[in-house]
Amino acid sequence: MSDLLTLGEYQAIAADLDLPRTAFIDGKFRAGSGAKFATINPATGDDLVEISGCNSDDVDFAVGKAREAFDQGGWSKMHPSDRKDVLIRLCKLMTRNRRELAVMESLDSGKPILDCETIDVPETIHCIKWHAEAVDKIYDQTAPTGDDSISMIVREPIGVVGAVLPWNFPLMMLAWKIGPALAAGCSVIVKPAEQTSLTALRVAELAHEAGVPRGVLQVLPGDGPSVGEPLGMHMDVDMVSFTGSTETGKRFLRYAADSNLKKIVLECGGKNPAVVFHDAENLDHVAEHVVNAAFWNAGQNCSATSRLIVHATVKAPLLKRIEARLRDWKVGDPLDPGNRIGALIDAEHCNKVRSFLNKKDMGDGPFVSPVIYEVGADDSKAKDEIFGPVLSVIEVATNNEAIAVANQTEYGLAASVFTANTRRAIRAARDIRAGTVTVNCYGEGDISTPFGGYKQSGFGGRDNGVHAHDQFTELKTIWIDLTDPSEGDNVG
Amino acid sequence: MRFEGIYTPIVTPYFDDFSCNEDALEKTVEHLIGAGVHGIIVAGSTGEYYAQTEQERIWMMNRCAELIKGRVPMIVGTGAIRTEDSVRFAEAAKAAGADALLIATPPYAYPTGREIALHALAIDRAANLPVMLYNYPGRMSVNMDEETLDRLGRSPNFCAIKESSGDINRVHMLARDYPHIGLSCGMDDQALEFFAWGARSWVCAGSNFAPEAHIALYKACAVEGDFTKGRAIMSAMLPLMSVLEQGGKFVQCIKYGLTLRGIDAGPPRKPLQPLNKDDKRQLAEVIRTMNTTISKIIGEAI
Repeated sequence: MSDLLTLGEYQAIAADLDLPRTAFIDGKFRAGSGAKFATINPATGDDLVEISGCNSDDVDFAVGKAREAFDQGGWSKMHPSDRKDVLIRLCKLMTRNRRELAVMESLDSGKPILDCETIDVPETIHCIKWHAEAVDKIYDQTAPTGDDSISMIVREPIGVVGAVLPWNFPLMMLAWKIGPALAAGCSVIVKPAEQTSLTALRVAELAHEAGVPRGVLQVLPGDGPSVGEPLGMHMDVDMVSFTGSTETGKRFLRYAADSNLKKIVLECGGKNPAVVFHDAENLDHVAEHVVNAAFWNAGQNCSATSRLIVHATVKAPLLKRIEARLRDWKVGDPLDPGNRIGALIDAEHCNKVRSFLNKKDMGDGPFVSPVIYEVGADDSKAKDEIFGPVLSVIEVATNNEAIAVANQTEYGLAASVFTANTRRAIRAARDIRAGTVTVNCYGEGDISTPFGGYKQSGFGGRDNGVHAHDQFTELKTIWIDLTDPSEGDNVG
Repeated sequence: MRFEGIYTPIVTPYFDDFSCNEDALEKTVEHLIGAGVHGIIVAGSTGEYYAQTEQERIWMMNRCAELIKGRVPMIVGTGAIRTEDSVRFAEAAKAAGADALLIATPPYAYPTGREIALHALAIDRAANLPVMLYNYPGRMSVNMDEETLDRLGRSPNFCAIKESSGDINRVHMLARDYPHIGLSCGMDDQALEFFAWGARSWVCAGSNFAPEAHIALYKACAVEGDFTKGRAIMSAMLPLMSVLEQGGKFVQCIKYGLTLRGIDAGPPRKPLQPLNKDDKRQLAEVIRTMNTTISKIIGEAI
């Protein structure tokens, strides 16, 4: 915390930023051939800068350059230790420019500077560094084949990867994709969300400075139809890793089927439960985690805990504690380090979030204050992904009912359970169909643990951990016959 | 902004005392728009900007804006030795209502690629208008090299480059490595080659007096993609190109060409001198032959 600057200092950095305005293709900033669009500061509604968007011509060109770079092997066949060194150099450059990245992220996404400085930027750097450091320590395998043959099971970079990012964590989702993909040796074309292109462009520039060869990391700003769809439909893209809405995720599966059967990895929506059993220990601790889980990033988080499923006996004391804690969550200017909740991403999203709110809670402008509603399990607030600072509380009477309600969703990304009973905790963790279940805390695990969804929350792979590395590789068997014909029975 | 079509760097018509012939200027604008050119460039080298005072240049851009009345885009050249002067011309152009700027390398100082980029970015910041870059090492002694172009990529305003080096390797480099910067033909005798490499526009001084012929080549190559017809038209135009490019009397020829069409463009400003009688006769004959040949190819009188 002591590292944080004052509001005035952040404003001064903001005024001084040289914001990128064009795509980063083949090692250069260059204008896209698509329509220009303004990227706005969600907190003020002002245009930050006009960005020249890309279209399918740019996608074709960038894919050509990515393929050329991949085939030439300057990155894909570079010794893993050398790739590691380049990526660690990138991390150092990002660290040197961390303030600039944090302020740019806050301005572009409306996230509180507090989060950008203490979570988004450091975790982004940590993620890239983790994958960089892992890549020369991952071993291939040999299979138990007997004396007459040997088989090597090796992993090779998958090739040209399209990384399609959401707007809620522009830097972190960039790192989740480019960290393992670049470490694996792939060429990556990033399509940032239209609302939040700036930091991805800046990181691409830093990566080039660090020594990532041209064509290996390219960033193409633009909207879905102009850049996302051409990437999804491209016959020379080997894989798309997508984080965003379930609806768009389904579209990428269709693109793959209609083009070259490229591999698709999806990380989509969530309606994540926190289940608080009657024997939950230390309700203050529970309240702290629930508040963080529900309201961090203004709830614009696919793993946000938007459903609190709570046993009737502890509901009242827990809600009292939650409300008390929420008083510390100030809402307002994202550049003010005292604020915990910034602006929602844009007017369209604000309207969507407000459509779930009671009239008295709606507020105005780009800011929505946290709200808590007690609802039934079938209420739309209990089922739909609101993606805003809304916590729906559902009271249950039994443990079985709690698990049933937790599973009563089309999503299955994350969940948490709170209980003092270890056996109950483990059983619940097993029974809830979600990719990550945390016990007596909220979280997503860390960089070493895989993250991804069950059901309509995801498909095809996992982010984080060595599992993330695996999804950007192809598995190859090399089978070698060791029999020597000259030693056969009939010889001589 | 996409530059597509024929962009005419308009001459500045003078009386014999070198004051501007406003009547001829108005007629020239009407004649160009009537003939269907796609844009008019004010203060290109053909407009003799280098021989004009700052006041004259600013008057010229304002007057042309009034005459063009938004019917076609107006592009204003910012060429000057000093960056500060170029910035002022860019601001004046924006105030006059220019649709785009033509930014050349600053002459004489012999800047590096990085310095050229900083010069152009300073102009860009002042005006925030679409820009056609102008690479003309024959007159400026420096090229907009890859370092220049890479640095300029930071601004999406740099959307085309008028390439007048005559170096076909640069055409290949621009077409392959900088597809986002529209290629504009600035070397008349290589127009066919430019179109083959995807150029969508042609800045051609000859279109002051022969817009129809230049439009015919543009249509054949860039619109219809008919390079057989294009080659025939180009072949008919080459004698004119050699007179223009190789005779050392470029502006004089352009002005006299316009005079032949009934608009008195007058003499060039000093130190240049007007054409002599023989030169005039030769130019008139070359234009006549070209027009007759192209009329036959496209089946329309021009």
